[in-house]
Order: sequence, then structure tokens, then C-alpha cells
Amino acid sequence: MSLDLPLVFAALMGLAMLLYVVLDGYDLGVGMLMPAADAREQDLMVASIGPFWDANETWLVLGVGILLVAFPAAHGVVLGALYLPVAWMLIGLMLRGVAFEFRMKAEGWHRELWNWLFWFGSFLTSFAQGFMLGRYITGFHPGFGYTLFALLVGASLCGGYVLLGATWLILKTQGVLQGKALGWARWGLAWVALAIALVSLATPFASQSVQLKWFDFPRTLALLLLPLATLAAGWLVWGATGRLKRGEPAPDWVPFAAAVAIFTLAFAGLAYSLFPFVVIDRMTIWEAAAHPSALKFMLVGVVIVLPFLIAYTAFAYRVFRGKASTGLYE
Amino acid sequence: MDEVLLLSRAQFGLNIGFHILFPTLTIALAWILLYFRIRYAQSGDPAWLATYKLWTKVFALTFAMGVVTGITMSFQFGTNWPGFMLKVGNIAGPLLAYEVLTAFFLEATFLGIMLFGMNRVPGWMHIFASAMVAIGTSLSAFWILALNSWMQTPTGHVVQAGQIIAGDWWQVLFNPSFPYRFTHMLIASGLTAAFVVAGLSAWRLLRAQDDKSARATLRTGLVLAAVLAPAQVIVGDQHGMNTLEHQPAKIAAIEAIWKTEKGVPLVLLAIPDDEKRRNDFAIEIPKGASLLLKHDADAELKGLDAFAPDTAPVAPVFFAFRAMVGIGVLMFIVAWWGVWATRRGMLPPRWMLWTFAGFTFSGWAATECGWIVTEIGRQPWLVTGILRTADAAGGASGAQLGASLTGYVITYAGMFLAYMVVLTHLAGKGTQA
Repeated sequence: MSLDLPLVFAALMGLAMLLYVVLDGYDLGVGMLMPAADAREQDLMVASIGPFWDANETWLVLGVGILLVAFPAAHGVVLGALYLPVAWMLIGLMLRGVAFEFRMKAEGWHRELWNWLFWFGSFLTSFAQGFMLGRYITGFHPGFGYTLFALLVGASLCGGYVLLGATWLILKTQGVLQGKALGWARWGLAWVALAIALVSLATPFASQSVQLKWFDFPRTLALLLLPLATLAAGWLVWGATGRLKRGEPAPDWVPFAAAVAIFTLAFAGLAYSLFPFVVIDRMTIWEAAAHPSALKFMLVGVVIVLPFLIAYTAFAYRVFRGKASTGLYE
Repeated sequence: MDEVLLLSRAQFGLNIGFHILFPTLTIALAWILLYFRIRYAQSGDPAWLATYKLWTKVFALTFAMGVVTGITMSFQFGTNWPGFMLKVGNIAGPLLAYEVLTAFFLEATFLGIMLFGMNRVPGWMHIFASAMVAIGTSLSAFWILALNSWMQTPTGHVVQAGQIIAGDWWQVLFNPSFPYRFTHMLIASGLTAAFVVAGLSAWRLLRAQDDKSARATLRTGLVLAAVLAPAQVIVGDQHGMNTLEHQPAKIAAIEAIWKTEKGVPLVLLAIPDDEKRRNDFAIEIPKGASLLLKHDADAELKGLDAFAPDTAPVAPVFFAFRAMVGIGVLMFIVAWWGVWATRRGMLPPRWMLWTFAGFTFSGWAATECGWIVTEIGRQPWLVTGILRTADAAGGASGAQLGASLTGYVITYAGMFLAYMVVLTHLAGKGTQA
């Protein structure tokens, strides 16, 4: 029996993208929440993501790298169609990446400027990513309705990242800032609930093939598990933040874990809707795959490196466990 | 189509020319930091710790600039050069993927521990993290230069059903120009970092003569530069010989040799005229090029006419090469002179400190010139003999390229200005911050 290499790489790409969205999602969310905090809180917020953001972003490079390397035919179509939003996202990523460093070294209005650019870069990146997702699900069709749909997904992803960022802060901070983060998380959750409802309603209209996959009885019944589980995870965020807000004992990691669950479930739904297409209705993963010689050579590397990668990533999160504090650096 | 090709090249050239500044500095600076960190561990001297912390800030800043501009590049391979991945994706792709897997995650993750974890992990673990960052940056250079070298001197591939695939990965990686290019680039990085360390330390000493840390790092930078400069002369010469063997058209452009002849003169300076295909105002050493390149005054050298029409524009390659060598020679002199002037803990006179400060970014200038030589010198090929640059362009319209190019130019200009301001500020304060 031979290994279905395109399928393996599709799974790896999906894993890398999911990890990217969850991991960079929380630090982009923290970036978008910056204007809501005061100067001292902003330092804490940045300190909570400082050791992680660079590695988090690397998952994007890996995800897009796998698309480029394993599915070269699709890479050209996807990134060609998304040329401008990709450029805006890259500018956003650059602004926030350097703002991290510059704001630590700047004083006075310079620091204010970098804080602002950090917020702007985080927002631009998040919105562009959501916009691209919207264009991607609808097969890059031109037209006002489709653009509107992509804008809606852009706004939704910003909400999702705010939820991740706020719940991350609940986990990593305490006192007044944690109290604020609890409020932000509830706003973020409401935003996400509305967004998921709207996007779910709009998607079958925007894409015929998704519609067929969703309303295919009796599989639809099994599929119902996804929204039900999402609802449960949302309820968990609401309940846990509520208890923490009232000062009742509740583990501070639950909101973040539940937010991650929401993202994972949404991602599973998306993966189900798209499979086996890598460009919807146009190109399957097998049609787009690179030559087996290239895939095999890469698989060797992945199999060897991935365990180490997971081990030292876990180690880094262990080193920086617990509440964040400023003054680790400088 | 011409407009798309031109804008694609302008945009990619801008990105890669801007991006390369930062890795060139961080590849070697990571090792210098490890040295500072180990000196602190051995001596327990807080001055070494302060030195380590100061240069860690410079490193973190430069690294961030490299990461964000590098992400841009990884997208542009696909967006600006769809033909590249279509034609040689089965070779280029895995090499890029290996870079991400083995280098990017390693350096990014351990950088977090290196920057923020000093009080959270034991000393040995912190040294280990610093070492991992250094290994990661060098591994990154390994994969990228393997790919670049393969594009210049491709070996180990086979054509199967119109697709280029790897026949022997070992030959793909260790293609003929790779060992020379990789070594040349690593030493270039060492020289760049050495001059940045020496230059910024001199800048600090101009403001505070008694700064012990700045005196120590000035010496470190100068000694490192003095060791690496002669090594670069030898490696550079070998790299040139290798180019003559595998990319003779590039050498013809570098030396502005228009016609295949015996006993070819060495053109020291001239104004190459790409339209009339001749040199104006040439200052030449008779038979010099034959002697230098073949070690035989009467040997025949192939001129550009032997490769027409597949030849690079001569003027940029010719001038960039001379600028690179000229800057290199000056760096050599300054380094040795500096080592002499700082012997036995001596403080060089102010005018000399100004000279070191003036040479802070000399490595960047030489590196940029070197990359211009090698990248324009290989035109019109993107992958020698396999893919022309013109055939790889496309994917975006001229308007899209123009709009995004404008965005990049503004962003890069702002980032570079801020980088320079912060660097000057950090160097001015020194370890007393």
C-alpha cells in the first residue's frame, strides 16, 4: 500500500493553518485590544505575547510554504487572486512585527506612535486574513455581493481574534487588567456569535457546492454536531467569564481553551465544506499536488523535525507559564 | 508584459535588497552574542552581561526586521514569479520548506527564551538557547544559499514529463557553486557584524571615552574583522574561479570582456557601453585578465560575444564588482590598522574612532554590491539554462504591482528610518542605559 502523499500534505497544511490561526490569532487579538488599555497595561499585554509572537507567525510561513511546495498549481491561483489583500496583510505583519521592538525602545510620543502602529498592523493583518478567507470560500468570484461577503468574513475574523486575545489575557494577567479582559472576552464572544450566524447563513448562498455538502441528508444530522459543540464552547466561555467576573472560583484557562475549541470547530466545518478541493470547485488536492519525489523528500524532513518542533515549542510555553510580568526584558 | 516584468523585478529587487541587510547582520551577530554570553558565564563579570544585553537589543531589532521582510519574500516567490514554482517548484519548494522546518521555528522559539527567559531558565539552558538561535540563523543561510546556488549552477535534477525534478538531492544541495557561495556569504556576514560592532562601539566611545564595555567590543569587532578580511580575499578569489568554470558569461560581464581573445587585458576602470558593446575611457593592465583568471598571460578568455544574446547588462555588474572589491580592500586596511591602534588596551585617537564609526555599515554596502554582481550577472537566466527571468514573471497586473510597490517603498522607508534612529540611540547610550 502506498501513502496518499497529497492527502498527508493537505492534512499537514490544515494543521499548520489551524495552529497559525489560533496562535497568531491570540497575539493579533491582543494587538487589536491595545487602545482599550492604559500605558502600564499595554506593557503587560505586550509582555504576555513577547516570547511567542515570532514563532506563532512562523506557522503562517509553514502553512503557505506547504501550499507553495506541495500544491504549486493551487498556490499560483490562490495567491494570484489574492494579490492585493496579501500585500496589505504583509504590510500589516511588518508594521506590528517591528512595532514590538520599537515601542520597547521608544519614549514619549514615539512610543505612542508605535503603539498605534502596533494596533493598526494587528488590525490590518486580521482583517486582510478574514477578507482572503471570504474570497477563498467563494472561489474568488467577482461581484459586489461576493466582496460584501468577504468584508463580512474580515470583520468576523477580527472578532474571533479579539476573543482569543481577550481570553489569552484572562489566562496571563490578573487584577484590573484581567477584569477588563473579562469584559472584552464577552464582547468578543457576542461578536463571534453574530458573525458565525451571519457567515453560516450567507455561505450556502455564496457557494453552491458548500450548500450541497451541508444539506445532504442524513449526513446533515451528523454535521449538526459541529454547531451544537460550538454553541457549548461558547456557553463555556460565557459561563466561565461570568463566574470570574463575579469573583467566584473558576480556572482562568477555561475561556481560552473554549475559544480555541470554537476556532477548531469552525475550522473543521470549513475543512469539511472544502474537501477535497484546494481551490473550490476548480482544483482538488490531487490535481494540484507536486511531484511525488518532492513530497517524499519533504515528508522525511517533516517526520524527523516535527517531534522536536513540538517538544521545544511546548518547552517554551512551559518556561513562560503563569502570569505575565514586565521587566523581563530591558 | 514588459511592464509586469519590470515592476516584478523592481519589487522583488527592492524586497530582497532590503531583506538581505538584516540576515547578513544577524547570522554572525548571533555567534558574537553567544561569545559574549559565554564570556559572562565564565567570568561572572557584570560588564559582559551588560554588553550581552545591549547587543541582544540590537540583535532582536535586526532579527525582527529580517523576519517580517522575509515573510514578504516567501509570499512573493509565488505572487510575483508563478513561472518559477511551476517550472522548478519540485526543487525549490522542498529546500524552502526545509528552511522553515529546521531553521525558522528553531530560531524563533529559542529567541523568545534568549530574550525574555534569562531569569526563568538555568544559565546553561540560556546559553543553549543562544546557541540554538545562532545555529538556526546559519542553517537558514545554508538552505537559502543551497537554493540560490542551485539556481546559478543547477545539478542533480532530471526532466520527467516536462517537469524538473530532483534525481539526486545530494547533488542538488552540494551543487558546484554552493560551497564557495555559502562560505563567501558567511564570511561576508562575519565582516558585516564585526564592523557594526566595532563601528557602534566607536560611536559610543566618541561620547564616553571611559566606557569599558565599548572598548572591549571595539576590540572584539576589529580583531574579528582583521581575521576574516584576508580569509575573504582567498574565498572570494576561489569563488571567482568557480564562476569562471561554471558561469563564464558572468565573468565576462564582470570584467567587461566583449570579445573572445587571447591575452586579455584586465580592465581596471572604464565606462562599459552596453549599446555599442565596448568600453570607453578604459584603464587596462595588458594581459592582466588572462593572467589573473587563467594564471597564464596568453590564455584565451571567452568574451560576451560567445554567449550572445544571453548576456547580462555589463555596466551594473562591472561597477558593482569594483565597488565591492574597493570597499573590501578599505575594510581590510581599516581592520588591521584598528587592531594595531587598539593593542594593549590603547584608545585610538578621535579621528580614528570617527573612521570606525564611518565604516559601521561598510559590510552592508559590500554585500549589496556582491549580490548585485551575482544576481544581475546571471541574467537573463533565473535558473541557468533552464528558466529565463522573463518567463517566470506574471500573476499580477501592472496596476497591482505598482500599488503594492508603492506600499512597500513607504513601509520600508519608514522602517529603515526608525531602525537607524533606534540603533544610533542604543549605541549612543551604550551599556549605561
